[in-house]
Amino acid sequence: MDRYLEQAVTEVPQLIGIFVTAMPDALLFSSWVREGTSWSAEDVASYFGDLVRANRQGLKALGSWSSEMQVTIESAESLVVLRELSTDFVCGCVFERTAPLGMVRLHLKRLLERVNQALPRVQAEDRPRGLRIMEFLDRYAPDPHAVTLRVSLRSGISIDELKAPGNLSADQIRRLEETACKILGVNQLSL
Amino acid sequence: MAIGDLRGLFAEQSLSFLAEIPYIYHCHHYNLFHDQTIDDALGEDEGARIRTAAAHNAFRDLLSAVYERSGATTPVERIALASELFQWMGQGKLHLDVGAGGGRARSASLHYGYAWREKYGARVKRVEPADAVAAGFAAAATELAFGLPSDAIAVTERKCVATRDAECEFDLTPAMGHPPLPPVDEMAVRRYVVPPVRGVDEDRIVAISQGLVEFMSGVQGDERGLIAAFNVFVTAHLPGYYNETIYETVHRAERTAPSSVPAIEALMQQAGQACVFFTFGNVLLSPEWEGLVGPPTGVSSDVISFCTSIARGLGFGHWLVNEYEPRKRLVLQCTSNYEVPFYRSRYGLAKKPRSYFIQGAAQAMMVLAEVVKWKERPQLSNDYYVDLFRAKPRYRVEQTKCLMRGDSISEYVVDAM
Repeated sequence: MDRYLEQAVTEVPQLIGIFVTAMPDALLFSSWVREGTSWSAEDVASYFGDLVRANRQGLKALGSWSSEMQVTIESAESLVVLRELSTDFVCGCVFERTAPLGMVRLHLKRLLERVNQALPRVQAEDRPRGLRIMEFLDRYAPDPHAVTLRVSLRSGISIDELKAPGNLSADQIRRLEETACKILGVNQLSL
Repeated sequence: MAIGDLRGLFAEQSLSFLAEIPYIYHCHHYNLFHDQTIDDALGEDEGARIRTAAAHNAFRDLLSAVYERSGATTPVERIALASELFQWMGQGKLHLDVGAGGGRARSASLHYGYAWREKYGARVKRVEPADAVAAGFAAAATELAFGLPSDAIAVTERKCVATRDAECEFDLTPAMGHPPLPPVDEMAVRRYVVPPVRGVDEDRIVAISQGLVEFMSGVQGDERGLIAAFNVFVTAHLPGYYNETIYETVHRAERTAPSSVPAIEALMQQAGQACVFFTFGNVLLSPEWEGLVGPPTGVSSDVISFCTSIARGLGFGHWLVNEYEPRKRLVLQCTSNYEVPFYRSRYGLAKKPRSYFIQGAAQAMMVLAEVVKWKERPQLSNDYYVDLFRAKPRYRVEQTKCLMRGDSISEYVVDAM
């Protein structure tokens, strides 16, 4: 897939990076980043995947969600466009801030068509919720180096059991989720 | 009498006192992680209760001693002196509006709440207040100002900067008093040290630590009551607070949930790692350090010696390097530290080594010496810290001897894995 991306981006000079994220877990599926760029796709992809997920929920709450949803972010340094390709994949494109919006839209349309064609048609795997919660904590918890110990203390689930979060029981997953909410200061996890 | 005049030094053991009550310096990274661990182990409500009680006890000991030596006898004098002391310690600027029946206290800049918001506020929405130390202090100050017995005043923090309020606010109300425990003061401390031992590079370590002690003697809270130094918020703090919270928590877990003890101990070690990385590390990169010692050399044995000097300079006790083999092994020893006197006075002999803080600190010293590229002057950010300590562990630590257990010295052996 990375090879297809490299071919697809050759005609888009103002593109800084592109990353394809697999949903619902916001895991990086494929990426290309221009040489000399200070960030890596791994660093940013999950954040934008979560942004798309939050956006989906917000729009659904407003009753105005559609699968054609696109998010455009204009920052001082770059122009970021996030687009749902399917229920399984989200594509994020980062352009130079100086790129004219019209050109960005044109490039984006062509780029996404090519990316879409290259994407596999997949049945999203229903990954264990315990695993997804631990990955979520690893990504967002303060002091992530200590999070397993903290979760163990608060939930009463042993460290060994937390090392295989896919095997947790329903009651343990409930406790894990409560603990994750507590550590993150949220009422529920957007998984 | 100036507060600085109340300082005392047990120089050969690198222990510091305020009006003969031990005090040390810790940064906000350590303080926040420490409190977080107490709450992780006990839950927010019980954690806050234990933390508030420990601060209450520790500040009651300190304020009693300060009032006795300064001759402050009236409520007005005592409240003013307490507030000045708290600010001097870098704990924050707290306004006390109290009487014999309680009252209120408020502050826009308390060390814990302010630092929590600075460090975590953008990532986590906190619901519970963070300032148990200020709460315990306020209760103790009120009791002693009006001649009330220990625990005659209860305190609740009902607004907190960490929970996005503009100010922290405390309600102080009457409660049932009870007799206080005897303070762990300088006399008690002197009972639980062993004669100092010379370690590797001793002369240089002594010279540097003396310079650092002199530098720290000029450090005090600013107009906010905070000490922003070495790229961290520093506090002059009371070992009684740290020790009571740690050991009450661990002992309770040993009685009621023994399977949780290893996780608590591991987190307490991580608090020690945070202290060494953030405080020791930033001291090593500071202009003040360069003025005192010189620019970073990048030599690992220098880093080990320098960290030992810093520990002594911050009042952590007489740490010494018994053995150091680069990339392989560090044997750190202590003839005194700030944990032993409290533990032995309150609980007697420990059944196993319990200096969690120094266990983690020793491990982190090895990481700082062997992994950090000092000549490149790295920014010791939270991300860098997480990267260093989330990676596969490079070193393991074992405390092989412990003064709390009655051994002849405390010893921490760090080996490469």
